Amino acid sequence: MHSQQITWNPQAGWTPIKAENVSVVFYFGTRQILSCGARYNELRDMFPGAHILGCSTGGQINNNDISDDEIVAAAISFDATRLHLVRQDIGDAQQSRKCGETIGRALIREDLAGVFVLSDGLNVNGSELVNGLVAAIGPNIPLTGGLAGDGADFTETLVGGDCVPRARMVVAVGFYGSAIRIGHGSAGGWDLFGPRRQVTKSTGNVLFELDGQPALDLYERYLGPEDSKGLPGSALLFPIQVHDANQPDSAVVRTVLAVDHEARSMTFAGDVPQGWTAQLMHGNFDRLAEGAADAARQARIGLAGEGDHQFSILVSCIGRRLLMGQRTSDEAEAAGAELGADTLRLGFYSYGEISPHAKSGICELHNQTMTVTTFAEVGA
Amino acid sequence: MHRLVAKQIAKATDASGAVDMNKLAALVGSAYDEFDRDRRRTDRSMSLMIEEIDAINRNLELLVAKRTSELRAREEDLRAQNMRFDVAINNMAQGLLLFDSSQRLIVCNQRFIEMYGLSPHAVKPGCSFRDLVVYRKEAGSLKGDVDDYCASVLRNVAQGNITHRILETVDGRSIQIVSQPLSDGGWVATHEDITERRRAEERITHLAHYDALTDLPNRTQFHERLKRELARIPEGEQLAVLYIDIDEFKSVNDTLGHQIGDELLKSVAVSLGRCVRGADDFVARLGGDEFAIVQTAVKTPAEVSDLVTRVFDAIREPHECLGHQVTTDASIGIALAPQHGTDLDQILKNADLAMYAAKSAGRRTYRFFQPAMDAQVNTRRKLEMDLRQAISDGGLEVYYQPCMSLQDNRITGCEALLRWRHSERGMISPAEFIPIAEETGLINQLGEWVLMTACMAAATWPDDIRLAVNVSPVQFKSGTLALKIIAALAASGLPASRLELEITEAVLIRDDEAALVILHQLRAIGVRIALDDFGTGYSSLRYLQRFPFDKIKIDRCFVNDIAEPDGSSCIVRAVVNIAAARNMTTTAEGVETQQQHELLRALGCAEMQGYLFSPAKPAAEIQRLLSSHAEGSTAVA
Repeated sequence: MHSQQITWNPQAGWTPIKAENVSVVFYFGTRQILSCGARYNELRDMFPGAHILGCSTGGQINNNDISDDEIVAAAISFDATRLHLVRQDIGDAQQSRKCGETIGRALIREDLAGVFVLSDGLNVNGSELVNGLVAAIGPNIPLTGGLAGDGADFTETLVGGDCVPRARMVVAVGFYGSAIRIGHGSAGGWDLFGPRRQVTKSTGNVLFELDGQPALDLYERYLGPEDSKGLPGSALLFPIQVHDANQPDSAVVRTVLAVDHEARSMTFAGDVPQGWTAQLMHGNFDRLAEGAADAARQARIGLAGEGDHQFSILVSCIGRRLLMGQRTSDEAEAAGAELGADTLRLGFYSYGEISPHAKSGICELHNQTMTVTTFAEVGA
Repeated sequence: MHRLVAKQIAKATDASGAVDMNKLAALVGSAYDEFDRDRRRTDRSMSLMIEEIDAINRNLELLVAKRTSELRAREEDLRAQNMRFDVAINNMAQGLLLFDSSQRLIVCNQRFIEMYGLSPHAVKPGCSFRDLVVYRKEAGSLKGDVDDYCASVLRNVAQGNITHRILETVDGRSIQIVSQPLSDGGWVATHEDITERRRAEERITHLAHYDALTDLPNRTQFHERLKRELARIPEGEQLAVLYIDIDEFKSVNDTLGHQIGDELLKSVAVSLGRCVRGADDFVARLGGDEFAIVQTAVKTPAEVSDLVTRVFDAIREPHECLGHQVTTDASIGIALAPQHGTDLDQILKNADLAMYAAKSAGRRTYRFFQPAMDAQVNTRRKLEMDLRQAISDGGLEVYYQPCMSLQDNRITGCEALLRWRHSERGMISPAEFIPIAEETGLINQLGEWVLMTACMAAATWPDDIRLAVNVSPVQFKSGTLALKIIAALAASGLPASRLELEITEAVLIRDDEAALVILHQLRAIGVRIALDDFGTGYSSLRYLQRFPFDKIKIDRCFVNDIAEPDGSSCIVRAVVNIAAARNMTTTAEGVETQQQHELLRALGCAEMQGYLFSPAKPAAEIQRLLSSHAEGSTAVA
């Protein structure tokens, strides 16, 4: 296995690279840069035999740096691992589970070793997409990835898989064979605060009421007049952790995708089931960075030192970046310190992270986390 | 240097190593803004959170206070409920025990401890079931073996059986113990002293089968025992059923009072009890003045006769009743099984028939059942049915027998007499069917009809001809006799002075006060009253004193032998004299010869009736007779 990092910026264009035997190219950039389609076509010209997949973001991770004005990409050559890419357009969020099942059925084969998925970040119910995929491929195949981002705008997200990136698209690549090793980790580092509240009214991923009061009222109160203007993006400053009161281990963090001022409701990136317990969270720069380090540690341990030339994809939540500002690079550095300088690290700020749950092992949609996927190849 | 500052400097430094101060200032300024914003957010969220938590705390405090007071109230309720429960279980009539699955006592009430005279210090929650049984054994209330008893109870509890057992205590009480297993493996047991209840039940059972006055088996018990005995008569043996009816018991009651009547029955019961000898023989009281004896293992008729003799001896002995010496007698009917049948109903009926035969034979005697008795009853029943039919079909007729003055041979009146011409048997004697009509109450209907018919007929006769109508004692009992007579007179237009009612002394024997009231009522409206059949029966002269009869009718038995040397002429003379002395006339009945006619006239008798002058005739014939007689021609039939 061999991995090379490449970047593109408006001034210098693409950095030069050895383009032979590349199996797959991952690339991440802002919606503004990707939307014209020219960058994809250039990559296609550079790597005619490779699968090329990428998405729009809320910022790119390039090893220890965070950037907004460039495209980060990695060209990976596998020695023994075969790949299969599947893409699926999706009309609306109601079809999320079906879409996941369709993709999963297209990928499933006896030697499927792992799946990496990129999805539209605004028109897909990420939880249902993941449920559909897991239903098709089973709970034991590592499934990681993320929902595309659009900075703090929440206007449109783009995803491309062997095609020009576009909205309402889901792309997944499957890794096959016995040589591939995939490690994964996910952690938040957010601190719970305030009282526990009950989800008294919700439908799927739309939350109406907490403790009998409109959820949006609570958020506006906590955000204050200034930050309330920045909704829905500013709601990311206060993620919410929800769990089934009977199963405290099921706790997941949810992030806001949209608000409805009329209905006083909030739409989250994943389900917020009625009757569950909810608690607000807030972030502390140091502990968020520690969370990223924790995720990286899990992913590294997952590989158990096998294979060489490791390559990693970091998918972190846009909320973390909005909160941390210039200190966002702290989490990239903390993850890098765990993964080691030799491991190529690229990634993006997303509207949702996909990774197995650290405790239950069941793949879920996460919010407000850093998720890390590491790849290596053995044997050959 | 702070890591962030180092990064900011690095970002503001170009490839040549020159630092762009403006860029650096912008980065540093923006970082400060970020820190300020973060601090404001943190402050705001912390103070909001504190507010929220305060509010939640206040709510919690309120909730805790509310819950605490609720808990106190509930505790109070529970305490009161416990007290009520204690009061309830300690005041229940049963002893109550509750055991857990390890056979330890959980609840025991005061009643249980008292019931067995146990020590309240020993019997308390926590003690074992076996200990409890040992205490009972020590206190003397358990007869059997402790281990056997425990094993039996525990076996039933283990099998989930609800058990009812009745234990007899050493001191003679009956305790009913009900054990009910509980779902948790324990059980609840109630102990109830049912000694009194059992005695009461036994008493009720006894009362249901024994007569309260004499303590003899009652009719129910008599039937049950007789049925058993009938079913097991050995080959070659007989069983005798004696029905014993105390003669004239009613007069004892009427004359001496019910208390003495009851004493007599008790005394008779004791006497009868002494008469029976066989192990399975017994006496029963069937009700009123009727007793029965069942004699078993009868091998010879003499044994039954001996018993009958003993019974008569016993009954005829004077009975000491509350200071009175009462003598009495009995009529006894005897039926034998299997000779006269083995069916219970059959043998009862036969004994009854035999008893009525004894009564009919003049009481104070006994009769063995004979098949002919049955036939007689059947004949009588047939006659009753025929009589009912005849009444509805108009098969009865009123005949009239003239009554003639002995002074001038003039007809003074006619006696109405009922005649029944049976479609198969021809004329049937009133002596045969009147008793049946009286027994069945048909006499009221018949009497009314005769009265109405005869009054209608008499209204067509000459004005000086009276009508005599017989009235049965039964008609007096109906209470409406006077009204019916008035109605008949009114309907026919017959003057009351032309109607004469003939009554027998039987009217006056019983309820004579009521009868006298009716007689006076009738007399008041002008109806004449004659005393019929005088000289037979009691013929108490007191009757003549009590009611001023208009006429005495001398019975035909005195007329029959009036011409004999030692005949009844002196009796007739005496009656005529008595009547004359009290302003009554006399009529002699059954005059058949001229000689009798002459003698009666000589003795001063006023009137006569009989074949010598005319038998009873249908209405049309009597009408003709009266017409011709009125014209002056004396006709003698």
